[in-house]
Amino acid sequence: MVLVNRENCKGCGRCVAACPKKCLEIGEELNAMGIKSVKYKGEGCISCGICFYNCPEPYALRVEK
Amino acid sequence: MATIEQKGMYKVFPRSGKNVSFTHYCPGCGHGIINKLIAEACAELGLQDRTIFVDPVGCGVFTYYYWDAAHISAAHGRASAAATGACRARPDAVTIAYQGDGDLGAIGFNNAFQAASRGEKFGCIFVNNSLYGMTGGQMAPTTLDGETTTTTPFGRDPALTGHPLHVCEVFAQLKAPVYIARVSVADTRRIMQAKQAIRKVFELQRDGKGYALLEILAPCPTNFKMNAIDAAAFCINEMEKEFPLGVFRDEAKESLAVRPVPRAASCHDLFLEKDAVPAAETDSSFAERRFKFAGYGGQGILSLGLTVAEAARIERRHTLWFPSYGPEQRGGSANCSVVVSGQPIGSPTVEHPDVLVCMNQPAYERFVGDVKKGGVVIVDETVPVKVQPPEGVKLVVWPAIRMAEEFGVPKAANTMMLAALKKFDCTGLSGESLEKALVASFKKKPALGEKNRELLRLAESGKSVK
Repeated sequence: MVLVNRENCKGCGRCVAACPKKCLEIGEELNAMGIKSVKYKGEGCISCGICFYNCPEPYALRVEK
Repeated sequence: MATIEQKGMYKVFPRSGKNVSFTHYCPGCGHGIINKLIAEACAELGLQDRTIFVDPVGCGVFTYYYWDAAHISAAHGRASAAATGACRARPDAVTIAYQGDGDLGAIGFNNAFQAASRGEKFGCIFVNNSLYGMTGGQMAPTTLDGETTTTTPFGRDPALTGHPLHVCEVFAQLKAPVYIARVSVADTRRIMQAKQAIRKVFELQRDGKGYALLEILAPCPTNFKMNAIDAAAFCINEMEKEFPLGVFRDEAKESLAVRPVPRAASCHDLFLEKDAVPAAETDSSFAERRFKFAGYGGQGILSLGLTVAEAARIERRHTLWFPSYGPEQRGGSANCSVVVSGQPIGSPTVEHPDVLVCMNQPAYERFVGDVKKGGVVIVDETVPVKVQPPEGVKLVVWPAIRMAEEFGVPKAANTMMLAALKKFDCTGLSGESLEKALVASFKKKPALGEKNRELLRLAESGKSVK
């Protein structure tokens, strides 16, 4: 399952566009940087890791199988 | 339970005095994706302890905060030059230059191109986002025809600024590179191809196969003035038209011989046998002597200085030889400074010599006033002495050129000068060392070495002087 570290997310949306199951979205809440960061919709993740490789940030996303 | 997470990067990035764990890249930047793939490849192949990254100037400048391996920060465009040094000094290392299109394609093109042509043993990862990112989105050599940048506000006009530079295609004309490819990080399929290609660059360096260039098309949402998704689409729909993805060279098969690393020549190789060179010893009882040898190029001035320095080295004195000459190989003014000391020497320059040797008039008149009190000036007898040396300086007029001609070896005038230095004991070094050094200077022509030793002895005894 995908785990999001919201404080490291810059909200670019690459993972949202890439997710084959469309289970990520840009949230409404702001993180400490003032960015609307990505969040997991809560269901649908197949732990493929595609979001991790599309994300430009090293520690914003992590996927546990 | 396998976890997909970042490998090969530091956990925190101590940038700007703050410990953070996000990069400095803009949202959606291609650098971020590429940085992650590079760190992952380095870690997964177990190469972190062997890898030297050479970091660029440009948006990629802070990679030393991210990748957990050794780093060198190069000046703008010079990553390939610095990587050349790194891979030659440490042939066992995996050397990776990371450069952008402004860095490599413009100011650094020549040193990247020449390094590729020499087949230096490093991998160059070249990030092409079609413009200068860090400085605000100016046109780069890779900017597409018609692309709007801050310096091409109406679109790049080929009539004014030419067409985009195809780095992979140009480098593919060279013989030496073993691997040249262009990939992209615009979508998942392309990112996975880039991951494999980056891994390959590391493997080639791990195995010492030779030069590799990997160009990666990267979106720059900020300067494209697009969101991350549109910027990635621009890479696919526009950049790939101009810069098609693909492998341009792949000769890195198993059978390919490992390229030998050029052997570094030591100073000792240039002069005498390697095993006959003990280090200098410190001896405070030896008074430092500073020499200046001057004349015109071709008179053997520089090699005379070198012979004295070599004699000092034979006696395990500290010594430095410092030449100064014009652009001409022969005929211009030339001089060299030599310092011989019992202590380590700070500066090789000699402003006030103890011993001045002059082979022509301009040299004499230029330097004679600088000689220290108690010093010696040896001047060839062909030089008209119109200026007297300072008080307390001994003047020796010596027929070096005439003697050499009389011996039938006009080129040996410098050896005749060495005879004077030996005869009047100007060097503080033994005659035996001076002779050894003289013979050694003709290492490649041993017969000439012996001949010069003979002439040296004859000249010293004054037998020919009529």
